[in-house]
Amino acid sequence: MSRRSVVIAGVGGQGLITIGSVLGEALMAKNYNVSVGEIHGLSQRGGSVAVFLKYGEGAVSPVVTQGEADLIVGLELIETVRRLPLLKRDGSVVVNDFLLPPPASKSIPTRGELLSNLSRVKSYVVDARELALKAGSEIAVNMVMLGAALATKILDLDIPDIENLLSKRFKGDVLRVNMEALRLGYQSIKE
Amino acid sequence: MLWRFARISLILARDLNIVVKAIIAGSAGEKKLLLGNEAIARGALEAGISSATAYPGTPSTEIIEAIAEVARDYGIYVEWSTNEKVALEIGIGVSMMGLRALVAMKHVGLNVASDPLMSLGYTGVIGGLVVVSADDPNAHSSQNEQDNRIYGIHANIPVFEPSTVQEAKDLTRELFDLSEEFQMSVILRTTTRLAHSRSQVVFGEVVRPNREAVFHRDPEKWALLPPYNLAKHRDVLVKLDKLSEHLSSFRFNTVEKVDGDVAVVTSGVAYNYVKEALEELDLALSVFKLASVYPLPRKLALEALSYGKVIVVEELEPVLEWQLKVLAYEEGMKAEIHGKDLFPRVGELNKELVKAGLSRALGIRYEAPPAVMPSVELPRRPPVLCPGCGHRSTYYAVKIAAQRLRVKPVYANDIGCYTLGFYPPYQMADFTWSMGSSIGIGLGIARFSKEPVVAFIGDSTFFHAGIPALINAVYNRTPMLVIVMDNGITAMTGHQPHPGSGVGVFGEEKPAIRIEEVARAAGVKFVEVVDAYDIIAMRDAVERAIKYMREAGEPAVIVSRRPCALMVLREKRRRGESIKRYTVMKEKCINCGICVDRFACPAIVREGDGKVTIIPDLCTGCGVCATICPAKAIREVEVDE
Repeated sequence: MSRRSVVIAGVGGQGLITIGSVLGEALMAKNYNVSVGEIHGLSQRGGSVAVFLKYGEGAVSPVVTQGEADLIVGLELIETVRRLPLLKRDGSVVVNDFLLPPPASKSIPTRGELLSNLSRVKSYVVDARELALKAGSEIAVNMVMLGAALATKILDLDIPDIENLLSKRFKGDVLRVNMEALRLGYQSIKE
Repeated sequence: MLWRFARISLILARDLNIVVKAIIAGSAGEKKLLLGNEAIARGALEAGISSATAYPGTPSTEIIEAIAEVARDYGIYVEWSTNEKVALEIGIGVSMMGLRALVAMKHVGLNVASDPLMSLGYTGVIGGLVVVSADDPNAHSSQNEQDNRIYGIHANIPVFEPSTVQEAKDLTRELFDLSEEFQMSVILRTTTRLAHSRSQVVFGEVVRPNREAVFHRDPEKWALLPPYNLAKHRDVLVKLDKLSEHLSSFRFNTVEKVDGDVAVVTSGVAYNYVKEALEELDLALSVFKLASVYPLPRKLALEALSYGKVIVVEELEPVLEWQLKVLAYEEGMKAEIHGKDLFPRVGELNKELVKAGLSRALGIRYEAPPAVMPSVELPRRPPVLCPGCGHRSTYYAVKIAAQRLRVKPVYANDIGCYTLGFYPPYQMADFTWSMGSSIGIGLGIARFSKEPVVAFIGDSTFFHAGIPALINAVYNRTPMLVIVMDNGITAMTGHQPHPGSGVGVFGEEKPAIRIEEVARAAGVKFVEVVDAYDIIAMRDAVERAIKYMREAGEPAVIVSRRPCALMVLREKRRRGESIKRYTVMKEKCINCGICVDRFACPAIVREGDGKVTIIPDLCTGCGVCATICPAKAIREVEVDE
């Protein structure tokens, strides 16, 4: 392995940057060179957002290009399909089963059309909101997706790597909910 | 749900269940995942800066935010300045006191600061002065993608560019030493892909600012007056030559040598694309990575030119390429020099573009990697004004007023969240230019336009660059309606305070300068303050103002005031207050589409059956939709959080 690339796709405000930085920190702890590329600014007003994560032993650039990503973590269906060209032919997609049409848009693809697009590659569909609620709060959707991403085994990370990190960031209820969401997301792919 | 997520996560960060530590705090040897901007902040801390000043602007904003988190612990002066010119001038003043200063801005901010910058090249500095210019290739969140490396050449100020986040920290720290050694200010140029990338950074030692502040009185150095200016110009050219020699042994300029007759010269983030490209193409070429982009390190540049073929890989303008070509010509060197003949001058580079360019230069076949293309057409998702945003209701009211007056105003717009009024259904930005230009350019149009000119400008932008143009409107008697969209904060860049906010960089209390008082003091006779949510009051005020400016032939100002909805909601949640929500009573709804198509709040959507509904998680309870509904079909509901 020289480099691994992940694209985290979704809508501004969904917590994509948190997924990127948690994964990045966990990989840094394993002594990889890590780069997590983000675009701030206008994208925070509900726009389309993609976070690029790369790691490896040598130089890693902050941009993932066509056909490069080993994994796409999608938090919304339209945005996930939008980033499909970045995926390697044999790459994987974990996607949140959630469709948010952009405001005032005329033609919106159906959930079925979007899912069938994703079925052309190795893809896993997760009902992240339901699992997050089960864990204790809908705000943990991103932790569910992070758990699902780990379960693909594409990244050199496992649940304990993330748990270590979360326990340094959170405590009490917030920690408990995040840990549970992570595990539920992980199990949803394992099954 | 999405918006709720964003806001709750912000509130949770202040909750006791989240361990918040200042990101750039930590001891030497510690390793952290830092944003490029945070790394620059840490580097400045390790250099022992006394002052950090800036005006917020993507992608530079996090530098000052990160320094502010630790500033009080280390006795560093930090502020959000009114604009970049003032921020730089403060930095120059601090340097005259023999102290180190960091000044940060986005690329177009350096245009505003360019007046003092140009002379700073002549005077030089005492205390180290590093000016960070965060450029935005691809114009992700900017009006252009200007390449500020050229400012260095223009202003006789050395320019440096880091390639990695670690280097951003280390280079920042060492540039303060270099700045003092050569008594020159330096520009640290970054780009969005570095400023907003997170990568591992190993910390060095923090130096507390411990120098005695002494004003270095030296009028011959600091007073830019005729007898001294030419001598200063001569001096700086000599200094630049010396620096160019010195930089060949600067540790951030590196050469990775392999056998062969081809050299790649690169700088900044492009270095990483080159490394990835060479690896994937399985090529071994010598790579010259230059952190000093102006002046070039002379000896290293000559060494690169001794190769038969030199391929320059740089984003945007051919700054390295031009310098190398000039040097090659002067030295009679015959190297074949490539650059912008292989790589685009517009937009960002990436690994694939670099692979394609290198392949062409070396005559090898390049094929883009296979990709799975979407088989459905995907709707665009441009950013939108948030639910509850006062800018939306202001636009809505102004549109109605214009219809009632039967006028088709020229809508001058400016830089901020409200620029999103460009998009349908509002389309109320006939032009947007640079900070404050809505008024300035509007004046030129108003001088000749039969239709009224209505300029929209935000509160922060008004303080930054709107005031001189407004004074001009009064002085030269130009009829124009200026609507200041006052949400109390610099919202677009993430809620930094400004002179009207009443708080400073730490949230501490500060005097709040009132826009309406500034306008009145400037001599504007028609000044009204209206609640941005009050559609009728706003509509009437706009009608009065347009009539006034036509009759009196003078400017009018309306301050449309409502605190940023995101901030209000955050505050309510922190206090545990309940949030009002609105709902559509289906039996009363006549499906006219006013709320969903014309008002276009993102919380209001059509369901599968075409009926209008309000997404409770998105509604912030502003209630404006209820006031514009002709069927009175929208009502308030109490929701417990």
